[in-house]
Amino acid sequence: MILLESHNVIVHDVLTDRFEKPSRADIQFVDYDNVRFHLSTPDSKTVLLLSMGIQCWPDLVKYGARDHLEKTFEGLLLSQGETEPEYDVSLRIDLEQIPQDPESRNALIDKIAHFKSTAMSAPFISAFEEQASLQANYKDAAGAQQMDVQPQEAKGDLKVVKYREEEAIFIQASHDRVTIIFSTVFKDETDRVYGRVFLQEFVDARKLGSLQNAPQVRYSNREPPLEIRHLPGLKNGEDWGYVTFVLFPRHFANPAQALATINRIQLFRDYLHYHIKCSKAYMHSRMRYRVAEFLKILNRAKPEVAVPQEKKTASGRTFRRQ
Amino acid sequence: MSNTLRPYLNAVRSTLTAALTLQNFSSQVVERHNKPEVECSTSPEVLLKPLVVSRNESERVLIEPSINSIRLSIAIKQADEIEKILCHKFTRFMMMRAEGFVILRRKPIPGYDISFLITNFHSESMLKHKLVDFIIQFMEDVDKEISEMKLSLNARARIVAESYLSTFV
Amino acid sequence: MSRQAPLVIDNGTGYTKMGFAGNSEPSFVFPTVIATHQSASSTSSSTGGSGSARAPPPVASKPGHLASKRGIEDLDFFIGDEAVANSKTYSLHYPIRHGQIENWDHMERFWEQCIFKYLRAEPEDHYVLLTEPPLNPPENRENTAEIMFESFNVQGLYIAVQAVLALAASWTSSKVSERTLTGVVIDSGDGVTHTIPVAEGYVIGSSIKAIPIAGRDITYFVQQLLRDRGESGAIPPEDQLKVAEKIKEDYTYVCQDIVKEFKKYDSDPYKYFARFSGEHSVTGRKYDLDIGYERFLAPEIFFNPEIYSSDFLTPLPEVVDNVIQTSPIDVRRGLYKNIVLSGGSTMFKDFGRRLQRDVKAIVDGRIAGSEVKSGGHMKSSGLEVNVISHKRQRYAVWYGGSLMASTPEFYNVSHSRVDYEEYGPSLVRRFSVFGSAT
Repeated sequence: MILLESHNVIVHDVLTDRFEKPSRADIQFVDYDNVRFHLSTPDSKTVLLLSMGIQCWPDLVKYGARDHLEKTFEGLLLSQGETEPEYDVSLRIDLEQIPQDPESRNALIDKIAHFKSTAMSAPFISAFEEQASLQANYKDAAGAQQMDVQPQEAKGDLKVVKYREEEAIFIQASHDRVTIIFSTVFKDETDRVYGRVFLQEFVDARKLGSLQNAPQVRYSNREPPLEIRHLPGLKNGEDWGYVTFVLFPRHFANPAQALATINRIQLFRDYLHYHIKCSKAYMHSRMRYRVAEFLKILNRAKPEVAVPQEKKTASGRTFRRQ
Repeated sequence: MSNTLRPYLNAVRSTLTAALTLQNFSSQVVERHNKPEVECSTSPEVLLKPLVVSRNESERVLIEPSINSIRLSIAIKQADEIEKILCHKFTRFMMMRAEGFVILRRKPIPGYDISFLITNFHSESMLKHKLVDFIIQFMEDVDKEISEMKLSLNARARIVAESYLSTFV
Repeated sequence: MSRQAPLVIDNGTGYTKMGFAGNSEPSFVFPTVIATHQSASSTSSSTGGSGSARAPPPVASKPGHLASKRGIEDLDFFIGDEAVANSKTYSLHYPIRHGQIENWDHMERFWEQCIFKYLRAEPEDHYVLLTEPPLNPPENRENTAEIMFESFNVQGLYIAVQAVLALAASWTSSKVSERTLTGVVIDSGDGVTHTIPVAEGYVIGSSIKAIPIAGRDITYFVQQLLRDRGESGAIPPEDQLKVAEKIKEDYTYVCQDIVKEFKKYDSDPYKYFARFSGEHSVTGRKYDLDIGYERFLAPEIFFNPEIYSSDFLTPLPEVVDNVIQTSPIDVRRGLYKNIVLSGGSTMFKDFGRRLQRDVKAIVDGRIAGSEVKSGGHMKSSGLEVNVISHKRQRYAVWYGGSLMASTPEFYNVSHSRVDYEEYGPSLVRRFSVFGSAT
């Protein structure tokens, strides 16, 4: 498995099972980035309640997450008052009202399994929209301006999503692109070194001919990039890094592409950390192999212990010489 | 193989072979004890002059002989941050499994990355020249292994980055 | 922000159970198997056997540096059900044998996918509870800790003994009056059945007994019985094992008296014989067969092993009694009082009742014997024998883990990342028992 999946496997599995045969459930589980889920049947077997708690919910609401969820999960999303306590959003799935044909059932399951990524996508979508309107305005402005006067670059608001305890995503739209900045921290020395190797490759990968169309990636260690340097409270220690993705309009030209881009980019941190861990696991297996090899060499130094040879008599019985 | 490695290893090999003349020697301090003198260094008269064989600033070998034991410490080449961390990981991993390597010390001498302690019991129960072979082989392979690990880390990172970015195209 | 729920992962020889603490059932149960992709040439390097027993198994395909440079073949693998589904193009490996991890390379990668693909948890944010079999060597715990802390950067780790977790799981039963960590655990999975005495959270290693009869043997036995009665003709050969398994799971029960049960069946077969209808897995052809004596004979092999095997002849109740009799004398009373069942093969109806009756009979017999020998001078006050079966029996170990990991105390007894950095892997040699008064 190289890429991480964007849907939640537990939601998917449980729903597939319950759609077939309703039964009681009371399951708590998590997803990446401090997201908590609670799937339960509080009233009756046929009504599932799926609640989600996201750490950065206040940020997401600011950027229209609730509206976006309402649009996507029309008829399922519970209003703020009805939301399960201690969680941020709840879905109510009535098993008696789900579609009957398997295809639309699967589509529904898939949609609900993307609950988290849908919520997280709100700021990205609003940034994309902002970019579109900025672009339109920019053209008008440029047309009106004199040719020799450089028009000022138009920029949207900087959106900040503090999706983990210490790390955040910064999103800013401008007239020709959307800039997404991840602040990352490595808690472990090894992770920091590995992480730097990985991030450097992300920066370099675009030199490859086939990846010319990929978003541009920049990486800066310690120093926050220009776009967010004015923000207060940014950390700039040795353990900190800032990764900038520059998305061009072609990356979100149509809704399907935009969705794929969003689903991919919001898992960037997890993807990075997953691969750092996999590399460490790989190094472990290399080391295990090498240590075994060294042991073999060392054991050559031990003289062959003369094992008393088993002797055979003519009749086929074995004995040992004392 | 660069042209300085051969002489370096040869120097270590002959020094080590010469130093591996160990004999049984009971402790002069504690009755009926037999301790590796180089470790406890309670009787200065049985310790011999330590010797450093060094290839450059970062790669060197310290050999500390004594009457019944010899301590050999290796500083492994570490060109950059990555090699440093890989080397640290690898030696630690090995020292964790020290009971398998009877001559491996669980902790290196300060300033070095890995240490071996060979006592007269080892040199009596094992073939001396093969022990020396092991040390030399280890020194050769450990450099190779670390640079290979570094290469594979870079290769991995490249593939990971490419497969991530290629999903945007 | 409250702390994230700990991950509870119970890696058994046959199946891995995993999920989040606080739930009553594991979120995932699948075979502990990993399917790796490797060329035929590199698989043959099974040289590990010739070296010393401690030598780790060779990393297949690693020596070919060309291959390793090309990249990340080691990420191309599947685990669990997906591994089984891909067994045609990949080769399957079972990293755990007899409860202990044999292949660390495979196990490390197995965990990798457990955490990132299935549980979708960033291990840096979670504590992890793992399980180990009784008598697991400390080196194995160290290796586990090394992987968990160094590869996965987990926040904290607790490695619990499976039997102790099974005891904790039995606290849900209404029969349990006090929460004690003293008792005998009968853990019967697919491959082997263990009888493990535990005193105040510590396993009495010297008295553990393994019984080579478990789930798989019962399935074989059902199959054999069907064949003997001439019923198997109706079943397509490739489905036989599956049908036997189905019968074992759905139709069997433990009888209280085997002779009476036979008589009952013979006098009124229509009442007791059950009908099984299956469908051919490939052609879809339907078939029917009668299920007769298998219904009560199958689990009977625990109590009368001679009907199935010729080399293991001690009935389970006798083994249990033996185990307790070889334990220290001052815990025996506690052990008799708390015999706990765990694992799928103890799920037969009335299994607990029969076991309790038989153990009680052995104990009472012995007491009566010594009363007679004392010439009537001594009178015993009797001994309480209790076999506890409960609702969570099938995944008892996992459930016990889930219970423990959801208590606040869990964070105090587990080894934290800070401690690991200070002491290194030898940290896990120190063993703190859960739930016992400190």
